[in-house]
Amino acid sequence: MTKLIIRRLIWTIPVILLVIFMTFILMRQIAGNPFRTSERAIPVEIQRNLERKFGLDKPWYEQYWQYVQNVATFDLGPSLVLRNRDVNDIVKEHFKVSLELGALSFLFAFFFGVLIGALSGLRANSWVDYTAMFVSNVGYALPSFLVATLLIYFFALQWDVGLPTSGWDTWQSKILPVIALGLAPMAAFARLVRGTMLETLQQDYIRTARAKGLRWRRVVGLHVLRNSMIPVITAAGPTLGFLITGSFVIEQIFAIPGIGRYYVTAVTARDYSVVMGLTVLLAIIVILANMVVDILYGFLDPRTRDART
Amino acid sequence: MRTKTLWLWLALLVTGLALVAAGCGGDDDEGGDAAGTGATTDGGGTKAANQEITINWGTEPPSLDPGLASDTTSAAILLNIMDPLVLLDEDNQPQPSLAESWDISEDGKTVTYHLRSDGKWTNGDPVTAEDFEYSWKRTISPDLAADYAYQFYGIVGAQEYNGCEKSCDALADKVGVNAVDDQTLEVKLTSAQPWFVQQSAHTSFLAVHKATVEQFGSKWTEAANIVTNGPFKLESWQHNNSIDLVKNEEWRDADSISLTRVNGRMIEDATTSVQAYEAGEIDVNPNLPTEEIARIKETDDYEKYTSLGTYYYGFNMKNITDVNQRRAMSLAINRREIIDNVAQEDQLPTTGFTPEGMPGFDAINPESKWLPENGDMEQAKQLMEQVQNPKTNITLLLNDAPGHRDIAVAVQAAWEELGIKTTIKTQEWAQFLEFIGPPPDKSVDVFRFGWIGDYVDAINFLELWTCESGNNSTNYCNEELDRLVDKARATADNDARYELYAQIEQIMLGDDGDMPIAPIYWYTSSYQERDSIRETFSESLLGQVDLRGVEVRE
Repeated sequence: MTKLIIRRLIWTIPVILLVIFMTFILMRQIAGNPFRTSERAIPVEIQRNLERKFGLDKPWYEQYWQYVQNVATFDLGPSLVLRNRDVNDIVKEHFKVSLELGALSFLFAFFFGVLIGALSGLRANSWVDYTAMFVSNVGYALPSFLVATLLIYFFALQWDVGLPTSGWDTWQSKILPVIALGLAPMAAFARLVRGTMLETLQQDYIRTARAKGLRWRRVVGLHVLRNSMIPVITAAGPTLGFLITGSFVIEQIFAIPGIGRYYVTAVTARDYSVVMGLTVLLAIIVILANMVVDILYGFLDPRTRDART
Repeated sequence: MRTKTLWLWLALLVTGLALVAAGCGGDDDEGGDAAGTGATTDGGGTKAANQEITINWGTEPPSLDPGLASDTTSAAILLNIMDPLVLLDEDNQPQPSLAESWDISEDGKTVTYHLRSDGKWTNGDPVTAEDFEYSWKRTISPDLAADYAYQFYGIVGAQEYNGCEKSCDALADKVGVNAVDDQTLEVKLTSAQPWFVQQSAHTSFLAVHKATVEQFGSKWTEAANIVTNGPFKLESWQHNNSIDLVKNEEWRDADSISLTRVNGRMIEDATTSVQAYEAGEIDVNPNLPTEEIARIKETDDYEKYTSLGTYYYGFNMKNITDVNQRRAMSLAINRREIIDNVAQEDQLPTTGFTPEGMPGFDAINPESKWLPENGDMEQAKQLMEQVQNPKTNITLLLNDAPGHRDIAVAVQAAWEELGIKTTIKTQEWAQFLEFIGPPPDKSVDVFRFGWIGDYVDAINFLELWTCESGNNSTNYCNEELDRLVDKARATADNDARYELYAQIEQIMLGDDGDMPIAPIYWYTSSYQERDSIRETFSESLLGQVDLRGVEVRE
């Protein structure tokens, strides 16, 4: 297990270097002036001053090396567009918001997803199953921004239940965004659990367990659920990554000060340092999430453990 | 686990959440209650007890450093936390603020501001002319690399200093800004610029507190560090979330300020903004989605302000070479229909380039016959026939902001009737800017653009069309126009200058005009406002909201 982890961690370095390189090349390929934000053209002198200030007048390989150094020393430089902020500040202040939003949405999706999926699986082809699957299909099909707007319209505006339309300070303000973001993954989890459950329930060892006289509750709790979790865990890793990074739309609609908003805005604005810094950060998150998933695998499914070592 | 138990869990969870949400309803933890909505007042309401409001700034200001602020959000906040030398009144004439008076020399090249003695920074230091000299030179310095340094190019030595690459300190001393004493600021201009005092109302001309800037570097604008000198103080700034202002009780004219507190959200999404307004969370909403304007216009909350800005289609004159074709294309556009059915914000149809509301408008406006409000398809077709080699395959380039495409489709249909096939191309902003240059990319025949005024003089609009202008993406070059622009820059007398402006408009859009562009409408600004502040709240022509005069009424 330790060997696995160490190997994984060492592999992270070349991956990160590749990510930096690709992001660097791609950002330079899409033409655009990070300093021209409005319709006003920038006088030549000022353009030169700005390029000099941010090191953009140096040759590309010097700039690239500078970025690599920045990442290595965890000093990601100043933002080109937000002139009083450093990328590190942006990450420190806003990443935790996205992390919280992503984690809460994940928990919501996981908890309700497994619950609904299990119910459907156990009562397959009953009205319970059909309703649950219908609801989760709708949740999956509706785009998150539509769900978000509808939730705000009904719960924050029309029905006076004390939920605000936007923001991220009180615990009430966290409910709607978490639901909006977590609905689609919840549906996905529900389907996965249902499917695996149905399959597991057919297995011989379940029949053996029942034949042994084990109570149904124990059979389900111990054997069925645990084995049904595996595809969920598989999906969970990238889902968590997606939730943290893909929360841009939800953050935009609910005016949540997370990292997603900064990321997309930075690309449009050609804010090279912010884009670079955030891409590296998110790459690391995805890598870590996948690593955690792989380790969990080992615990959940002994078969993979043996195959690996 | 039995199914029943699973059910129980599910039911408990849902009920629990619902109960908790419903039970704790009504409690608003987010600072200041929205000001009371109350009944409609017709003018002359009484001052309410609660003078707190919540507004929507719309977005995070990229910088609250006056030297670096180049957008309207930063300007809106800076206007209220800082004390400018002059403020513009409803007629956009400069009124004394921190400068109690100013003199302009005979030749118009020296402006001397006399500062009040009671200006104070929030840390107790007095505001002096040295603060302004320091701040202006800092903004002009090449090290700061300020976007708006060009606003100072009218000052002696500024452009040279700004363009300097090394050993620049000597050039700093040669810049024509000098603090003669604590209360006197002398500015030497390169030529007579009659609008200079007006222009100095812009945020770039605000003073910054030297010691604070030197101590905290780029972090000096954080709420914990910032030192300001205006009617309101920056109490808190949670990035991308909120900016709250409180009244500065130490300000020199604090008694004239009614508001005690301004809570500011940053809701970028227009739909959420409207919902926040209608849920009572904010009192002012400047952010309205186009689709909802028709509905909101019918409510009592709607308010419209004229802006100083022109929305236009620019021609690439190298591609569409025949002036008659350009005139025809402009004639074919039914501006009234576009405003009423597409844009829907009661914009004003253009009759020239310089917008209504600009001082001297009546004298300057060409009332161009190529810009009929309802379009003139008959004449357009006739003109089109006179064109020798018409360009019938046109690429119209737009940037991808909402609303532009709908207008483009309407125009596309109009040009269809002239026998022109228009392909609409949309690009994201930075890419779009690269394509229109100047010079515009070969593939661009027509492009959509807009110009919002920096300050209130028509030169700001008309100088865009000189041959060398970095904002002229039409390949238009008319030496006569250049000559007139230079002459106008040196003409101090307003009426004489307006006469020159009128000539420039004629050259561009008059009967024999070159028609480099087809202006479409003059911008307006739409708001939702509560009755309690409606009387005193307003947005200026330049898009500024001055909170000094705002009062919550019952």
